[in-house]
Amino acid sequence: MTESKRKNSISRRSFIALAGGAAGAAAVASLGLHLDWETNNPKVDIDALGLDTFKTEVLVIGSGMAGLFAAVKAHDAGAKVLMVSKGRLGSSGLTPFAKGIFAYDPAKETLSIDEFVAAVSRSALGTNNPVYTRQMAEHSLARVNELKEWGFFDSTLYNKSFSKPIEERNIPIQERVTITHLVKENNKLVGAAGFSIDKEKVIIYEAKSIILCTGSGGFKPNGFPICDLTHDGTVMAYNIGAKVTGKEWNDGHPGKAKNAAACYDGWGDMFEQKPGTTGIEVHHDLGVDMNYVAYTNGSPLKMGPPGSGEKTEVSGGPFVPEEFSRQNSKPPDNGDRKPPKGGHGDGAPPGMGGSIVGGSSAGMAIHKSEGLVPINDQCESNIPGLYAAGDALGSYMSGGIYTQIGSSLSGSAVQGGVAGEAAANYCKNVEISHISTSKIEEIQEEILAPLKREAGYSPAWVTQTLQGIVIPNFVLYIKKENMLKAALAYVEELRDHHMPMLRAANMHELRLAHETANMIVSAEMKLKASLMRKESRCSHYRLDYPEMDPENWEAWINIFKGDDGTMQFEKQPFNSWSA
Amino acid sequence: MGLIMNKESKIYKLLPLILVFVGVPLLLWALGEFPKRSVFKELLSLIIILTFSLLLGQFFLTRTNKILVKQIKMSSVLKIHKFIGYVFIIIIMAHPFFIILPKFFDNTKTPFEAFTILLTSFNSLGIVLGMVAYMIMLIILITSFFRFKLHLQYRTWRKVHGYLAMLFIITATSHVINIGRYNSTSFSIYYLIVVASGIFYLLRIYLFKSTKKVIKND
Amino acid sequence: MSIVSINGCIGCEECIKSCPTDVIRLNRDTKKAEILYPEDCQICHLCRMYCPVDAITISPEKSIPVIVSWG
Repeated sequence: MTESKRKNSISRRSFIALAGGAAGAAAVASLGLHLDWETNNPKVDIDALGLDTFKTEVLVIGSGMAGLFAAVKAHDAGAKVLMVSKGRLGSSGLTPFAKGIFAYDPAKETLSIDEFVAAVSRSALGTNNPVYTRQMAEHSLARVNELKEWGFFDSTLYNKSFSKPIEERNIPIQERVTITHLVKENNKLVGAAGFSIDKEKVIIYEAKSIILCTGSGGFKPNGFPICDLTHDGTVMAYNIGAKVTGKEWNDGHPGKAKNAAACYDGWGDMFEQKPGTTGIEVHHDLGVDMNYVAYTNGSPLKMGPPGSGEKTEVSGGPFVPEEFSRQNSKPPDNGDRKPPKGGHGDGAPPGMGGSIVGGSSAGMAIHKSEGLVPINDQCESNIPGLYAAGDALGSYMSGGIYTQIGSSLSGSAVQGGVAGEAAANYCKNVEISHISTSKIEEIQEEILAPLKREAGYSPAWVTQTLQGIVIPNFVLYIKKENMLKAALAYVEELRDHHMPMLRAANMHELRLAHETANMIVSAEMKLKASLMRKESRCSHYRLDYPEMDPENWEAWINIFKGDDGTMQFEKQPFNSWSA
Repeated sequence: MGLIMNKESKIYKLLPLILVFVGVPLLLWALGEFPKRSVFKELLSLIIILTFSLLLGQFFLTRTNKILVKQIKMSSVLKIHKFIGYVFIIIIMAHPFFIILPKFFDNTKTPFEAFTILLTSFNSLGIVLGMVAYMIMLIILITSFFRFKLHLQYRTWRKVHGYLAMLFIITATSHVINIGRYNSTSFSIYYLIVVASGIFYLLRIYLFKSTKKVIKND
Repeated sequence: MSIVSINGCIGCEECIKSCPTDVIRLNRDTKKAEILYPEDCQICHLCRMYCPVDAITISPEKSIPVIVSWG
């Protein structure tokens, strides 16, 4: 089919749709009702929506790399496990696209683990938590070997290899279920709640312990496959009093200017490659250096193949430690998403040269830097029984900058395993609690509210508006006080007036409505944390505070909900645990 | 090998049939708004499309096609019929494997996994129809090959063959229209016209065979 | 246009399950996968890669909805 033919057929279709829409609108208008775009006509029979309840000891939310190991290790430690996923095992979140996994093999490496951790800390300018950096290195080979056994390295698709250990252990798994609430009653974690988009049901989970393997998130940006990740875990946990962190950091992945939304095409054929392992290679990657160049010099930003010497000279900008600066203006490469074969992560981003644009992963921080604040090395949060692993845990395994190539995927595997075991042990001394009927009714009401609204705002439109506010380079990446405050005013408007009025016409939109709400909360966190951190370090760059401030800012920022429901912030010194 | 010796003159006389059963599908394929794929995959698809239309053409490479039989000898018609029958039934027998052939060349599902899914998708009407058609086709192939071992009267055998062919073409065409990658309105209309006229000719011979006069009086 | 078409679907639902953003659903009458929410397609090709019969066509282009004052 030629381009013109395809376009013709589309225009014909859209013409019919337009004509139909116009006729419909006219018909509705003639009846004196709301216009079509105002009225919410749910296609779901809300009153007939069923309610299911499931009981388990450990509830694993999410089915990527962290979720896999959380479920497997919790089961192996003796707990009854149930896995629930918004998508499909091995095919949701960032996991399906991660093709490089770091394994610290003492037989192959010349650096000791101590030296490796020290190198990461130097590159991360102190922002990493060395306990988690070390844990990742120590356990990585064991996890990689298990993956090998399950056939992980034999296919580009992970569902089959992930299913192997889950099926062998008969771990039940519920897919295409969106979890919207963590439930706390009488000051105790008692379960979670959400809905199934296929069964059109609200589902309540009663659990002794919950492991959030919900990944990170973004603002459904164009060009990075994270449109199903909207910080759901972070926001749910925040809502019941968990501390979260890492919101000021940015992942600086660029995208191709041509067809910027096409994730697959932007990464060459990497998504179709089998995964492979990586060895020690510590960098200072995925920061906002390029964003600074684009801000200073304007677009287009050209990136030639490696060695083309197309170095763009700018003064100032994010500080890169000499030891880790890449020669020849090497742009941040694709880090752990590096194809195992061909190329060495050098040069242009995947998808070769040509013009690039920023914000392809907008809203996402550096892997493992944002998420729940751990209170120890067991991936435990400040809420007893609530654990998080992988990108949902603000473990600072890598720091505020991406350091070891391939460590994100192995970090998720390692933390999943650690959290799984810890949660299983926690369950041994805890009785299961029931969620009261009144609480269930209250949650059900909250979950289904967008379906019941007669009028409101569509999640797609609110999302698009949010993107317009936060994604610009001068807001999200090259930060300064007045712009952050300006954007915050917009985001607060969305939070106060639009978030409570999100509407949904079907289960697909219901999921979008909840995701949109989470993105708004996350945007508020991001802007406020960025305002608070009055220095520049790693992937956080303030135009008005371009230097590092070792005196005041050898600290992470924790965010939590205050007693009055407002967003509270605190500093937690580097190399300390949260109280 | 008379088939080869008089090739040119016969091909000339077969031209209308070639046009209808090779030309038209090629044209519909070229003009259709189908997503273009790699040359390898398109080639596989084309082979299957043409194989199917040639099998449809079998209805018109028989005694029922009076015009053709007048132009070239019945024995030649039969030779062509047999040739197309054996060769293209074998190709069409392989077509489920064609579909999973690309899986040998990528890192996604293994060909075996893909094939297992294909063969177990019983909730798909198209798959079930395809399986039924496949079975009938096997019966046609086997009964044709062992025709003389069956010790049937010629008339009986011809009837069995004809009715089986009819059954096959109805299920196979439904399968193609339901699930074919290249299903479009124009392809469907083409198939329906060909099948309807094929069945019409066949039935006319079978139902009215004993009353030759009816045909003559036409 | 993101995900463009599904040709030759056998109704195995692999694409539906593997789509991270719930773009594809099973048509209950035809028992075939259909593209229901193409605007949410992130062009990641998982559906195409999970499809056992290579039925899915995806274009790198995406028609981004126009920006309006309310919606």
